[in-house]
Amino acid sequence: MTIKEKIVGRLLLTVFALTVLVPIIVILVWSFAARWPWPNLWPQSFSLRGIQEIFGGYSGALQVLGSSIVLSLIVALLAVLIGTMTARSLVFYNFYGKRLIELGTILPIIIPSTVFAMGVHVLFIRFGLADNIGGVIIVHLICALPYTIKIMTDVTAAFGCKLEEQASVLGASPLQIFKEITLPCLLPGIISSACMAYILSFSQYFLTLIIGGGNVKTFAIMMVPYLQSGDRTIASAYSLVFICSTLLVFVIFEKTAKRFNKNGSNYFFV
Amino acid sequence: MKKFKFAPYLLNLPLALLSLIFIVGIVNGLLQSFGLIPALGLYEFTFKYYYEVFSRSDLLASIGLSLYISLASSLLAAIFGVLLSLLLVMTGKAKGKTLNLVKIPIIIPHIVVAFFVITIFSQNGLLARIMYSLGLISAQADFPALLYTDNAFGIILAYLWKEIPFVAFFVITIMANISSTLGEAAKNLGASQWQTFWHVTLPLCMPSIKNAFLIIFAFSLGAYELPYLLGATMPKALPVQAFIEYTHPDLLHRPYAMALNGIMFFISLIIVVLYYRLLQQNTRKVNGGE
Repeated sequence: MTIKEKIVGRLLLTVFALTVLVPIIVILVWSFAARWPWPNLWPQSFSLRGIQEIFGGYSGALQVLGSSIVLSLIVALLAVLIGTMTARSLVFYNFYGKRLIELGTILPIIIPSTVFAMGVHVLFIRFGLADNIGGVIIVHLICALPYTIKIMTDVTAAFGCKLEEQASVLGASPLQIFKEITLPCLLPGIISSACMAYILSFSQYFLTLIIGGGNVKTFAIMMVPYLQSGDRTIASAYSLVFICSTLLVFVIFEKTAKRFNKNGSNYFFV
Repeated sequence: MKKFKFAPYLLNLPLALLSLIFIVGIVNGLLQSFGLIPALGLYEFTFKYYYEVFSRSDLLASIGLSLYISLASSLLAAIFGVLLSLLLVMTGKAKGKTLNLVKIPIIIPHIVVAFFVITIFSQNGLLARIMYSLGLISAQADFPALLYTDNAFGIILAYLWKEIPFVAFFVITIMANISSTLGEAAKNLGASQWQTFWHVTLPLCMPSIKNAFLIIFAFSLGAYELPYLLGATMPKALPVQAFIEYTHPDLLHRPYAMALNGIMFFISLIIVVLYYRLLQQNTRKVNGGE
């Protein structure tokens, strides 16, 4: 590469980095702005109003954040479990209806979630799954599974079953094989797919709105009225807490994973 | 490994159950769009609601708007996503910390991205303020209205912010592999960098690119959040219009919601068929056919 090309490359990379980072920096500043009138480029004064709104206790935002995180963790756990099971069957076995299962793993990506949500809503009302957390977990799972299955299939196919077979020949019990070989080998995939499922559930707005029917209040549901309100300080604070809590959960995922697997590094966030 | 005969069926049980819920949900919605809603006393199969949707100009406008948003945002995202991926591969940043920058937009939800667009592109947003301080505009009203307009500029911008990195993330691994093996070979044989990209790297990445395009196209066609938060009052995108009809106090509006959903469904069905033809092409190529 010539020096000129290198400079152009650097320049374009900087443009990309700015495009990603500037909006985040802008809402970071807005979260602490007390007054930021037109046409100022920097706030006139700062305050902790936005942060107090969330952490002050009176808005109930913290409780909603907590229960929302728990909900998404449950979805992530179930999605990883089901994803791993489905991936094993797709990689290691031939069986009747395999093509059908493969189709089932991509349909929720291709068919719009609004179509699914309104169709399934009527059904859920009949079975008592509407307006409660069980129904919300089910629809979040359906949205997340295509991604977790894809990731787990790739990882399972990459490792194969040779190591497990060897351990079995050498006399290891199924439990030992699972703990010493299967789990550590699949761990990077498990973490990636858990992150993916978590974020799909945590940022879901429409499905939660329609299936939860106002009874299931997630952080995303709570946030939207503020985003529309025109009070940019509060809206920014909510957005900021949303992003930070997601990153925090991902860091905890990876720290937990590292306790199981000392040399693993191939996670969602490096 | 010992092959337990029922193992694959047991392993697939939870997914099969959830797929069943999914499919029954879709079928249920479709039946309603054809006027079969026993709960409302409607028992007759009819194309009436589709016919009415296609004869109402505001609903036709919704279909047009949704197709325009999805096509424009997905095409632009595919093109710029491939260019971003190429940029990262050519500058040697296909792995490591720089890739985290690509992942950030993937983890930020659409509702927050809508807010980003508002803070930056509204008439009192950051961009307008910067242009004012540079003397390019003299009042808020001089800044062009980009949000809540029927050209859906804000919606497309928000989708691009999220989807360009998504496409890049989707194709970067395969692109990095190709350019380090076959790309080098092409260069050794005297191909220029541009020829290598155009005749070797791009065709080989094409299946992944098409795959990513179909995913984002289907998603943006049926997504509610961005058109709801950034869209114009008239016309509304299909998902938003469908939800309005769905939550209408008069339950007899429900079949119209389902007919709008049905239209989204049939468009996405075409996508599924394309997707499957694509998959088959890929396997044929891998198996050395053609």
